[in-house]
Amino acid sequence: MSAALRPLLIVVVLVLALAPFGLPPFAMTLLTEALILGLFAMSLDLMFGYTRLVSFGHAAAYGLGAYASGWLLLHTGMPLLFAVFGAALLTGVVAIGIGWMCTLATGVSFSMLTLAFAQLLYAISFKWTSVTGGSDGLAGIPRTPGPFGFAALTSKIGFYYLVLACLVGAFLLCFALVRSPFGAVLRGIRENEAKTIALGYNTRLYKIAVVAVAYALGGLAGALYAPFAGFANTELLFWLLSGQVLIMVIVGGSGTLVGPILGAAFFMLMEHQLSSWTEAWALYFGLIFIAFVLFAPQGIWGLATGRLQMGRLRRASGP
Amino acid sequence: MSTVAFLLTQVVNALSQSALLFFLGVGLTLIFGLMRIVNFAHGALYMLGAFVGYSLSHWSGNFWIALVVAPVLVGLFGAAFEFTILRRLYRRDAPAFLMVTFGLALVVGEAVRLTWGSDALQVPAPPLLADVIFLLDEPFPLYRLFLVATGIVVAVAIWQFLERSRLGLLIRATSQNADMASALGVDVKRVRSSVFGIGCGLAALGGMLAAPLVTASNGMAATVIIDAFVIVIIGGMGSFLGSLIGALLVGFVQVFGNYYLPDLALAFMYLVMLAILMVRPGGLLGKEA
Amino acid sequence: MHRAPDVALLDLDGVTRRYGALVALDQVAMRVEEGEVRAVIGPNGAGKTTLFNVITGTVKPTAGLIRFADQAITGLPSHQICRLGISRTFQITALFPEMSARENARLAAQARHPRRWQPFAGARIFKEAQALADAALEQLGLSGIADRPAGLLSHGDQRLLEVAMAMAQQPRVLLLDEPTQGLSVEETAQAVDTLARFLQASRMTVLLVEHDMEVVFRLAHRITVLHRGAVIADGAPDEVKADARVQDAYLGGLD
Repeated sequence: MSAALRPLLIVVVLVLALAPFGLPPFAMTLLTEALILGLFAMSLDLMFGYTRLVSFGHAAAYGLGAYASGWLLLHTGMPLLFAVFGAALLTGVVAIGIGWMCTLATGVSFSMLTLAFAQLLYAISFKWTSVTGGSDGLAGIPRTPGPFGFAALTSKIGFYYLVLACLVGAFLLCFALVRSPFGAVLRGIRENEAKTIALGYNTRLYKIAVVAVAYALGGLAGALYAPFAGFANTELLFWLLSGQVLIMVIVGGSGTLVGPILGAAFFMLMEHQLSSWTEAWALYFGLIFIAFVLFAPQGIWGLATGRLQMGRLRRASGP
Repeated sequence: MSTVAFLLTQVVNALSQSALLFFLGVGLTLIFGLMRIVNFAHGALYMLGAFVGYSLSHWSGNFWIALVVAPVLVGLFGAAFEFTILRRLYRRDAPAFLMVTFGLALVVGEAVRLTWGSDALQVPAPPLLADVIFLLDEPFPLYRLFLVATGIVVAVAIWQFLERSRLGLLIRATSQNADMASALGVDVKRVRSSVFGIGCGLAALGGMLAAPLVTASNGMAATVIIDAFVIVIIGGMGSFLGSLIGALLVGFVQVFGNYYLPDLALAFMYLVMLAILMVRPGGLLGKEA
Repeated sequence: MHRAPDVALLDLDGVTRRYGALVALDQVAMRVEEGEVRAVIGPNGAGKTTLFNVITGTVKPTAGLIRFADQAITGLPSHQICRLGISRTFQITALFPEMSARENARLAAQARHPRRWQPFAGARIFKEAQALADAALEQLGLSGIADRPAGLLSHGDQRLLEVAMAMAQQPRVLLLDEPTQGLSVEETAQAVDTLARFLQASRMTVLLVEHDMEVVFRLAHRITVLHRGAVIADGAPDEVKADARVQDAYLGGLD
């Protein structure tokens, strides 16, 4: 990201921070969900955009985080903050195991293994009724105040600020990560894994590490979703969600961190707007996706920044 | 019921299930082998086959006409999709295909819902096959036996087609090395359109044949696409024989798993797949890791 | 050479690699001394690239022993062998095309950085790795084009960038697999000039596989000839040139 975009991002965060003062409640609900999905999509970008690890099963992270925080909130009386971050941590730890096994394979087989793990969790979520509630899922998940009786984050607006803080924090973390020496190795894996190995990197360790971080952040998104929606169900682990989040990343612009957040917001907006105009929203949705692949493969963010750079070039070369 | 008779009916059940899965998996694997495309829309085309078959058998009043015409129509639709859209993407990377076929899955799924509605539709088996026969004194639906027979016929036909026919030879050559085949004068573009069409047609055949057993419904696409992925992953992406073995394995795991371990049947299928991939990352008969 | 002859930096003894019935490497023995530029030549299919793969650990030998700096490295995973100080280039150019030449070389240097796994040491790692990378680019005359994406460099510069990447790792032995492969006559001449100057200045220990005999005689101190996986001659360039078996192998087994 170029330095010129940094002030823009700060302005965007400020606008988001002021949003509750100007937006009606239903819009705040949409916005909160969009930010949660944005966090989810951004976490996948670490794998897909920066390392070219194409996961077909990122719903596993979201669902795991949602079920874990939902269960903790329902059954242990744990305060909101602890439950959310505990669930994210748990997802990251589980992901070390998943990553270890999935990285045995590369390419399409890797994608299929991630899908298999997600589907395995999906199957378990149906059958392990005592913990997951089976096909009913977990309902009535509370936003338990705390720690220390701290209750500000449990109101609708307070929860929005919690989500915004998580997204900004996760973004800064990812941003630092991809620009670090660790991130340089991830780019190496993306561009030429064989060469990265030949240079002496144990690329599998790097891949497992990035899977763990991506799942932990995806788990954080899921862990926020459960108390946001008040429920967690099997849909959150279904492959359709994995496909959708991949689409959000690609439509927004992969390998940019910001793009996938925009992609998620765009997805939410389209779903909401199209479904209010027409019953056949998914049809148009599909057509829009196909158009993006054909005509704008760099995604929304790529289109926007490309336009920006063109403008700057034109100005530079002008009189 | 005697144990032997019970086992026999379960085995035939599993075989008929495997036949349906095979129609699905073989198309997917042919497409992957030739074009390195994971076709996310395969389940949607399977469903499209069921619904088109439903309408055709209603209009014509004849199951057999529908059985032939529905796969051909869906196959032509697939070839047209390859011709108009996929063809523009061959210089791009795998995610582009993933996205565009995912988009197609959404479009087809929604078009089906708008055209035929959200209710499940009964597709009756043809009168000739609606009977029940007795296997070792156990009643058994004749239609399932018919599925087994069709599966065998189609498998042999595809195998012979790949081995003997000119297009089959071109498909094998192009799968191994598209640039070389192209240099030798193979019209690679036409081969790709044909294979994509054939693959989609086979999926539609599977959907059409499944409809009398499970009804034609909006939900059928989502479940079968994962089954299809599992089959080709187990068998090895791009391997014809692999898709046959994968379909048999998954069919038997599903039928026997549902009976003996109903709680774990679904998980069991994925565990089998994971176990195989741990040992052979490219699948049983796959070449690449 | 400038060291006692018994101090071999790289020592191969009885190294054999079979693929089924095919013997790609047959009881290969060779000793490369510190500071030496050794060329390995032979007709197509003689086992030259397999030799590199066995030394760098990407292929495990069926039998035999490989010692590097008095340490057995036979069967170690390739990233460990690399870390001990053996860096290689590839016959087919392998780079990170979207990264600049500097970033390519920096990523190579970073692989050797002792703190590369430490969090919060990023700035320091980058700085130190970049210093090594810039020095290596300088050595190969690439400083002027260091900020261009590697994918957009000329073929000759891409081949030299690969050598620079290997050098940024401060290796003790450099394995060059056909460094002029795919270059035009002029590009080859330029690249070989640069390589010769660089080898002269750095006194690097080099194992070189090369098809082009002019390049071999220009760069190598000593030549080992492989034929059907076995060493058939080993000596100074002039001796090898005169060797009857070598001429036979080349004329008889010519592609």
